Amino acid sequence: MKYALFLGCTTPVRLAGYEASTRKLAETVGVELVDMQGAGCCGTPSMESIDHKTALAVAARNICIAEEMGMDIVTLCNGCYEVLSKANDFLKQDADAREGVNKILAEVNHQFKGTVKVKHLVKMLIEDVGLENLQKLVKKPFDGLRVAVHTGCHLIRPSDVLKFDDPIRPELMEKLVEITGAQAVPYPDKTECCGSPTLAVRENVAPQIALAKVQRVKRYADIMVTSCPFCYLMYEMSQLTAEENPNVPVVHLPQLLGLAMGLSQDDLAMGENRIDPSRIMDFQTK
Amino acid sequence: MPEDSEKEVGETKEQRTKTYGSDPSNQESPSKQGSEAILRMADMDPNLKYELSKIPGAEKLLLCLQCGTCTGDCPVSSRVPEFSPRTIAKMAALGMKDALFTGDLLWLCAQCYTCYEECPEDVKPSEIISALRKMAVKEGHIHPAYKSQMELIGTLGRLYDVSEIQNEMRAELGLPPVPDSGVNEVKKIMKRTGLDKLTQIDLSKEG
Repeated sequence: MKYALFLGCTTPVRLAGYEASTRKLAETVGVELVDMQGAGCCGTPSMESIDHKTALAVAARNICIAEEMGMDIVTLCNGCYEVLSKANDFLKQDADAREGVNKILAEVNHQFKGTVKVKHLVKMLIEDVGLENLQKLVKKPFDGLRVAVHTGCHLIRPSDVLKFDDPIRPELMEKLVEITGAQAVPYPDKTECCGSPTLAVRENVAPQIALAKVQRVKRYADIMVTSCPFCYLMYEMSQLTAEENPNVPVVHLPQLLGLAMGLSQDDLAMGENRIDPSRIMDFQTK
Repeated sequence: MPEDSEKEVGETKEQRTKTYGSDPSNQESPSKQGSEAILRMADMDPNLKYELSKIPGAEKLLLCLQCGTCTGDCPVSSRVPEFSPRTIAKMAALGMKDALFTGDLLWLCAQCYTCYEECPEDVKPSEIISALRKMAVKEGHIHPAYKSQMELIGTLGRLYDVSEIQNEMRAELGLPPVPDSGVNEVKKIMKRTGLDKLTQIDLSKEG
């Protein structure tokens, strides 16, 4: 299995640990991730609320690069997934929109053909590698580790567009976490947004939203697991800047899966996590 | 006689205008405006609801029952009382264009799509807010944070500049340098669609 790796903006620049652990996990599960030269920002989910035509063209340009590579896209960010997936499906279905976008893209020597799929890391692991195959790779399962899974928004919503998991009661990412032997625990307001998009507008709002969730999580779980760089940063930074740090480690999904598959903390760049996650190791049985 | 009847209702038209009409402090909070200020038909734009309903996603604006499911489930509303998707839908239906387009109200939406999923009438409040943003941008009201985001994407191809130090740190983790962002193509697209003029950003600087 070979995919075009869409890095987006935040992961490669601010969360190299997420990228490094994803690449290591991919190797371990037999997936080849190929870098996309010339791919930039997906456009951000907010560009759609500023100008539809530009948002569509900027997203389509990135998709075209994967089409030219002949590979489906894997994103690491929920936001990139929503933007690229939405644009891809819309352009595949709407011939007029496709024609309009291709007129713009002709100026930069690309043409949207509609030949690839857009997947998020979570979706790729579940749909293409498969839970059973992943389970077989678990060598050092966890025992008694309680995990608060934060699925985030743009992996599952808007559900009529993304068509992945239940938008209000998601369970797929939890199933992925549970192959490691850890328990994905229920907790209040599990699907609440991290607040990240409001950070640039009023900087005190998002940390309040994020911190409140971590404080709830602390009562039910040992760690929090995310699959989006923006959610990860919100939950980590809101704790570090809080008057009283709840000290709940936030772990990237590929880090947790990688540990269970026998990769080391160094392999998974866990030294990059700002809240020491090493207590997870106490729950490993072998 | 007319003077007496004016007195009976408590305040004159002039006093009312003085107290509520042109005071910008009343424009800041829509909830305050709804409960304490007098809304005058002359200040409303009755066409706003029709124009808005033409934008994809916002077609069902006028089906809103004002049930409040959206606001009840909104992660922002519970921390920022003046931000309420229900109130925004009502303000849009009433045509309160100035109160909607100025300030940061529309830009507080986290676009988490919870209201989109939960609305019993499928009104899609998040899409109404997105459509209102598009209209506001066309009239020159883009939030400065979003304006600078667009400028970063247009001049760097991504939201961040990549320094040598970052690539060295990546190398220590065994990662290749951050790939080229294709900024020149992004810039051409933005100029072609007119995003630079629409959002008043300067794409001439080099990334």
